[in-house]
Amino acid sequence: MGGIRLDGVEVRVAVDGSPQPKTLLRGISLNLTERRIGVIGANGSGKSTLLRLLNGLVAPSVGTVTVDGDDTVRSVRAVRRKVGFVFTDPLSQLVMPTGREDVELSLRRSVRNTMERRLAAEAILNRFGLMPLADQSIYELSGGERQLMALAAVLAVEPAVLVLDEPSTLLDLRNRELLRRTISGLSQQIVMSTHDLELVRDMDRVLVVESGQVVFDGGAAAAVEHYRELSAAGLPPVSATVPPRRPEVR
Amino acid sequence: MSGKAFLLVNYVPGTSPVHRAPLWLKFLVVVGCGMGSFLVVDWAVAAAVLGLMCALFLLSGAGPARLYKAVRPILPVLLAIGLFQWWQLGGPVAARIVLNVLVCVVAASILTATTPMQRLLDGVVSLAVPFRRFGADPERFALTIAIMLRSIPFIAGAYSEVRDSARARGLERNPRALVLPVFITTVAYARQTGDALAARGLGEPDDDDYPRQGDR
Repeated sequence: MGGIRLDGVEVRVAVDGSPQPKTLLRGISLNLTERRIGVIGANGSGKSTLLRLLNGLVAPSVGTVTVDGDDTVRSVRAVRRKVGFVFTDPLSQLVMPTGREDVELSLRRSVRNTMERRLAAEAILNRFGLMPLADQSIYELSGGERQLMALAAVLAVEPAVLVLDEPSTLLDLRNRELLRRTISGLSQQIVMSTHDLELVRDMDRVLVVESGQVVFDGGAAAAVEHYRELSAAGLPPVSATVPPRRPEVR
Repeated sequence: MSGKAFLLVNYVPGTSPVHRAPLWLKFLVVVGCGMGSFLVVDWAVAAAVLGLMCALFLLSGAGPARLYKAVRPILPVLLAIGLFQWWQLGGPVAARIVLNVLVCVVAASILTATTPMQRLLDGVVSLAVPFRRFGADPERFALTIAIMLRSIPFIAGAYSEVRDSARARGLERNPRALVLPVFITTVAYARQTGDALAARGLGEPDDDDYPRQGDR
């Protein structure tokens, strides 16, 4: 695996009613080779756009993104075979009525024989301890079970890289811990954006994104510290957030 | 999103004669029931066919609770249609229309309750293969049907949540407060589903360099 490279990447999008495009990301040059990479930053800072670049869901307006040498624009299909993507909301990701069927759907193109596909799907579900939930409607699963099911469906095609966009946002503490353990046991290279700073502590490298730029790139502890300072600096003074006390009326 | 109100029943694993029946026969029964709803003019025949479909459903082992769950969402609509037709055209016609709709719903539920979705997709792909010469992609055709089936409960769930939210704000009589949020949620869901499909490489034309096991 040759790693993920972003060279001079800028992402701009057209805005309704404005002649000027909006810049979502700018000046991004990175070489991502570490096994566990975290991306943190405020809402709207550009984390999701950065992650979407890696799977070809977003094309760079300027610059190039390559995965193991494959350009995400010119060789998007090859890139998507290598890069699995897990979204925040598993309900928008799970396409079929049950988890088993969704995993089988992932395998439709690579395993043509129906029986072999069924066995392969069962092996994957067993690996994640999801077999007892395989035939339940995805609407009857808990948030954590759904997220694990979505993860299993993506991992069914054995991607080399797994990109997760805030996978723990909709999960409670228990399910977050379950997801953390599952992710830490995977052999894939992981690139994950999150607001969960506990999850970030397991990462080998963490990027802090602010206003469309990578403003910090380093170890987990230092990145979290930098992000905390950045967030605190952006807060209004306490006096501005507390409404003035009403005068007592006698 | 709760999205549990769904007309058709999910697959129920089993080995009943209905499960073992060939897919083409089940397709034929569903199509036959659909066509029959236009041709049958006697409510007693429609009632007999409905009885037969219910018996087949129960024979599959899916159970009366699932049968009731399949028809429950449309009962209020059928009641309204039935009353209107009774007033306009009389009891026998109203009974025939209501019974024919129920026949179609139960027949479709037999198909989905006794056939795994992957087999259904394989069946749709086989049916769509002759259209390949006109540029159709059978896999994409099957995926479209699967997504359509999958989206019905989501939209029903979105409506249910928006209705609760409108009630909480005292806006239950405001059609705009009901329709607009459901519309916006549905469009957002469609976009997210599109992204998820693209990210998983689903729905793309088949390519020869894709590594495969067990090609048939």
